[in-house]
Amino acid sequence: METKEFHYRAYRPRPFTKEERSKTTILFGGLTWKHERLIQGSLERMGYKSMPLPNIERQDLDIGKEFIDVGACCPTTFTAGNLARTLMTLREREGEEGVKNNYLFVTIGACGPCRFGQYHESYERVLEGLNLTDFRLFLLDLLQMEQSAPGGGLEISMPLTFGLVYSMFYGDLITDMEYAIRPYEVVEGSTDNMVRESVELLYERLKNRPIKGKKIDSLIWHVFTGYFVDALKEVRRLWDEIEVDRLRVKPKVKITGEFWLQTHEGDGNYNIKRWLEKEGAEVIPPPVAVWMDYLINMELFKLEDAKGFVKKYYLKKLAIGTIAGLYKMVYNRLRKALNNIPNPLPDQRKLKELARPYFHYRLTGGEGHMLIGKALYAYLNRQAHMICELSPYGCLPNTMSVGAMAKVLGDYPDLLYAPIEIKGDAEVHAYSRCQMILTEAKRRAKEEFEEVLERTGLTVEDIRNFEEDHPELRRATYKVPHYGYAGTASNYAMHIAKLMGRI
Amino acid sequence: MGFFQSLGVGRIVFSSDTSEEQYREYGKGRITMDSCFPVKALAGHMGELLHKDINLLFVPMIYSLPSFLKGHVVDTLSCTRVMMSVENIKAGFLRERKEFEERGIAFVSPFVPFAEPELLPKYLWESLKEHIPGLTLEETARAVKEGFRALEDFERKMREKSLEIIRWCVKNNRPAILVLARPYHMDPGIGHDIDGEFQQYGFPVLWYNYLPLDDWLLEWLFSKEIRAGIIRSYFDISDVWTSSYSSNTNEIIWGAKFSARLPWITGVIRLSSYECGMDQPTFTPVQKIVESSGTLFFKFGELDETKPAGSVKIRVETIVYYLEKYSQDIIKKKLSRLGAVPSQLLV
Repeated sequence: METKEFHYRAYRPRPFTKEERSKTTILFGGLTWKHERLIQGSLERMGYKSMPLPNIERQDLDIGKEFIDVGACCPTTFTAGNLARTLMTLREREGEEGVKNNYLFVTIGACGPCRFGQYHESYERVLEGLNLTDFRLFLLDLLQMEQSAPGGGLEISMPLTFGLVYSMFYGDLITDMEYAIRPYEVVEGSTDNMVRESVELLYERLKNRPIKGKKIDSLIWHVFTGYFVDALKEVRRLWDEIEVDRLRVKPKVKITGEFWLQTHEGDGNYNIKRWLEKEGAEVIPPPVAVWMDYLINMELFKLEDAKGFVKKYYLKKLAIGTIAGLYKMVYNRLRKALNNIPNPLPDQRKLKELARPYFHYRLTGGEGHMLIGKALYAYLNRQAHMICELSPYGCLPNTMSVGAMAKVLGDYPDLLYAPIEIKGDAEVHAYSRCQMILTEAKRRAKEEFEEVLERTGLTVEDIRNFEEDHPELRRATYKVPHYGYAGTASNYAMHIAKLMGRI
Repeated sequence: MGFFQSLGVGRIVFSSDTSEEQYREYGKGRITMDSCFPVKALAGHMGELLHKDINLLFVPMIYSLPSFLKGHVVDTLSCTRVMMSVENIKAGFLRERKEFEERGIAFVSPFVPFAEPELLPKYLWESLKEHIPGLTLEETARAVKEGFRALEDFERKMREKSLEIIRWCVKNNRPAILVLARPYHMDPGIGHDIDGEFQQYGFPVLWYNYLPLDDWLLEWLFSKEIRAGIIRSYFDISDVWTSSYSSNTNEIIWGAKFSARLPWITGVIRLSSYECGMDQPTFTPVQKIVESSGTLFFKFGELDETKPAGSVKIRVETIVYYLEKYSQDIIKKKLSRLGAVPSQLLV
C-alpha cells in the first residue's frame, strides 16, 4: 500500500503579482449579468482585466455534479459547474498553459455557518477534476474593506471596495426599475432595451470615475459626491421615454429566499421571475443591498446585546450606527435620483421584531430571520399579494426558516406563501406549486382593484380619459404613492381619484 | 447536568436514545421541512419529553460550541441546522394549537453561544428567569462555570480512556479504529451503532472528539511539521483546511490528521447523515488526509431513519477483513515515519 506523499495539503494558489495584472483576466460570477457588468467597470477602473462567468445554464448542474462531492446544495453545484464549463471552454481555446497563466478566479466567502464560506472547497474539486490545480483561485472575505491575495497582484483597496458597493447599488436599483416597469410597458421589449442601455451607461461611469484619495478621504468622497447620483439622473431621463399602462391588474409577488437563488436570473432558479411575469404577475426582486444592510445591522444588534460587557460601548455603537445610517442614506440618494421608483431598504430593526416570535435574530447563516421578517413585513404593510420563497435543494439554513414559517402561517392564514424548493432539474414541479398560490393572488388583486373602483366611483374609462389630459402619468418614472393596497393598478386608481378630487 | 444542579433544579429528565419508534410516535408530522436525520430526530425527542412528568422543556439553540481547537481556528460555530432546528420544530408543535401550554409545560429555548463568555450567562438567565423564581444573573454565571467544570471533567476522563486504549494497542501490537462523525452519531439510533459492530470483532474504537491531547504525544506526532513551518501548533489545521469556521468540522479534520499520524489507528470509519451539508465539502479532503498516510478509510454515508442492518453487517465484515489483512503493515509503515515511540506510550 504505497502512497505518493505522506501528507495531504490544502489547495494554495500560486501568487499573482502586480506585473501580471495587465495580462491576466480576473474571472468572477454569482450575481446577475447587470451587477457583473457593473462590477467589471469598477475592476477595470482599478487597472484589472476582468470577465464575468457566462450566465448559469441547466448544463452547469450536470457538470457540477460530475466534479464535486455528493450532497451539495443547488447553488454550489450550479456555480461549480459554471466554473468548470468556463475553464473547459478557455482550455479548448487557449490551451492548458493559457488558462493557467492568463486567467484567475476570484470568489468571495464569509460567515461560515452555511456552506457559503466553504464553496471554494468545491471549486477546488473542479480544479482537481480538470487537472488544473495550477490555476489560481482566490477566496476573499466579503466583510473586509481592504485585503490582498498572495503576490500582491490583487488588492482590495478602499476605492475598489466603494466601486463594488456602487456596482451593487446600481445593479439593484436598475433591477428594481426593470421589474416595476416591464409588466406595464406599452411597447414590448422597451424595458429590456432600456436596462441594457442603462447598464452600459453606468458601466462607463464606473469605469471612468475619479479616484479621490485612498483611505478616509476616499470614504468621504464616495459617500458625499454627486457623481453617482448624476449618473442615475441621466438614466432617469432615458427611462422617462418608456410608456406604461398601470391599469393592467396584476398580483404583486415578492421574491425572498436563499441569497444566491433569490438574486439569480437564469436556469439556476428556473428563471422564475420571468416566468412569473409571463404568468401575469409583477415581481418584487430582492436587492443584494438588503443582505449587506442585514450584516451591518447584525453587528449593531450583537453590540446592543453585549452592552455592559463592551468597553467604549457608546463609541462603538455610534460608529456602527453611523455606518448603517450612511449606507442607507447613500442608497436613498440614489433611489431619489430615479424618482424613488426602486423600493426602499426595509428597516432591519422592524424585520427583527416581526420575526422575533418565530425565529431568533442571532441565528445567522443565509438570511437568518430576514425571510420571516420580510414575508410578514410585506403582508402586514400590503406590499405584495404573495411571497415566493426560493429554497435551494440541500440548503442548510434556508430549510430551517422555511420550516419556522409553519407557525407564521398558523397565525396569519391569509398570508399567501409559496415556498419553492429548487433542485435545478424539476421546474415543472416548482412552477405548478407556484401557480397554485398565484391563482389565488390573481383573484385577490382583481378583487382589490374592483374594491378601489367601487370606493372611488371611478371606471377604467374615467381613468383613461384623465390620462389623456395628463400624459405624464403614463411615464415609467412617474411615482405612484402607496395607498395601502398591494397592487399597482389599485394604488394607481386611488392616485387618479385623489388627483381628480374624488377622495 | 452541572449547570442545572448548580441552580438547584431537583429533577432532570432526559429523552431516551433515538429510535424509529420514538420518531414515529412523537416526532412525525412535527417536521415542517425536509431535513437531515438528526434534525428530524430532534422532533421525536421533544415530543417524547412532552409526555413525561416535567414542567419545563429545555431545548437550547446552540450557536457555538466549546472546542479544544479554539484559538487555532477561525471560529467554533455549530452546524446551522443544529442551531436553527429548534425554531423549525417548535413551529411544528405550535402551528395548530399551543401544545406546550396545554400540557402545562414551559418551553425554553435559549440562544447559547459558548464562544461568547459574557453573553452565554445573559441569554440563559433571560430565558430561565421567568421559570426559576428569584434567579439572578450572578447565580446563572456561577452555574455556567459549574457546567463548564463538569464538561471539562467529563472530557478529561474520556481522553484518559482514549489514551488507555492506545496504550493497550501499543502493548498488544493491535490496531484501533477511529470514528470521524458528528457527536450525535454516538447515539446508537442516529449512528446505527456501527461503532459497536466493530467492537464486537475485537477492534477498540476511538472517537475523534475525545482523542488524547497530551503534549508529549502531540509533540511526537506533529513536531516535525511545526519545525518545518508547515503548521504553527499541534492544533493548526490550516495546512489541510483553509476556512475553519465550524467547530465539529474542524475537529473532524484534526481527527483525520491525528489518525493519519498515529500508527495504531489503521482504519478510519466516516459516518455521515442523509443530507449533511456540513460534511459534504469535507468528504474528499478528509479521505485524502487519511489515505495519504496509508491508513484505511471507509465511509457509511446518508444515514437516515431507515436502518439497513443487514448491509451494515456485511460491510463491517468486509472492512474487518481488510483491517486484519493490512493493519500490521500499516502500523510498521507509519512507525517508520516517526521517531522513537515515546516512553509514556510504553507503560
